Amino acid sequence: MRGLISTNTFWTLWLFVHLILALGLLGALTHQAMAVALPVRKPAAGIVSRFRAVPAAGYATAVCVLYVLIFLVGSYIYPQYRIAIRIPLEAGHYYKTGGFFDFKEHVAAIGLVLLPAYWYFWKNSQNPQYDNARKGVTLVLAVAVWFLFIVGHVLNNTRGFAS
Amino acid sequence: MSTTSAPRTKQSTSSLAASRKFKAFAITFSISGPVIYCLSQYLNYPLVTYWPAIGRLVWGYEGARPGAGPNMLWYGWILTTLLIASALGIVAMLIPERIFNRIPLWLVWLLPILCVPYIIYSLMYWWRLAAKY
Repeated sequence: MRGLISTNTFWTLWLFVHLILALGLLGALTHQAMAVALPVRKPAAGIVSRFRAVPAAGYATAVCVLYVLIFLVGSYIYPQYRIAIRIPLEAGHYYKTGGFFDFKEHVAAIGLVLLPAYWYFWKNSQNPQYDNARKGVTLVLAVAVWFLFIVGHVLNNTRGFAS
Repeated sequence: MSTTSAPRTKQSTSSLAASRKFKAFAITFSISGPVIYCLSQYLNYPLVTYWPAIGRLVWGYEGARPGAGPNMLWYGWILTTLLIASALGIVAMLIPERIFNRIPLWLVWLLPILCVPYIIYSLMYWWRLAAKY
């Protein structure tokens, strides 16, 4: 594969895959977070209500699979970041950007270990005993994924695609 | 907590989700995971160290080597976390349910939030440099 395309294109494609998968995860988790934070009690009328009225439990497995896939792709491209991106960032004194990327890697790792409980709570969404825990862990994951996405986006703007 | 389109029923949707042992494993793994991750980073106990410039992977922590470029500890911290959290999860599967049920479930979402101030503090190297330049 690397013989057919340039090294830059190869890593740019993987970064693009990382981004596309992240968009799917962001959408699914935002729907779920809205559904647990602001549940719809009567038939949805407007676009905001319909956004909140999704069958949120059905997203749980997809969220876990997407999170793990994004995590694996991110782990695969991470060494390239460490060599080709972070060193020039430090040389250019972009320390806040570098710091926030390290913040992102820690948040991503913590999000990963939340997935088993998250999945269990959603697969038992009929049990009211788990309502608060399910709401809490879903909101934490949604905030984490938005944070990961925004930091990744800003970092890409600093030195990303085709760098 | 329910939505209009997801009515409650008595049964969980899969045998894994109905398993008491999986419940013990999953909840213990997710409660202990964030704390173990922060501890493995604070105490610097990566299971492996990776050197991306030379493609070198070694067990445990390995400090700076001349001509080897930067090392990466993040993979090692994650592997340490997965290993210890899994071991604790397996131990939890052996605990009687009446004892396990005393563990408050809010720890699953509260502990990750409490880890954030530590993470910000652990990145002081970057913030100091940012303030300096």
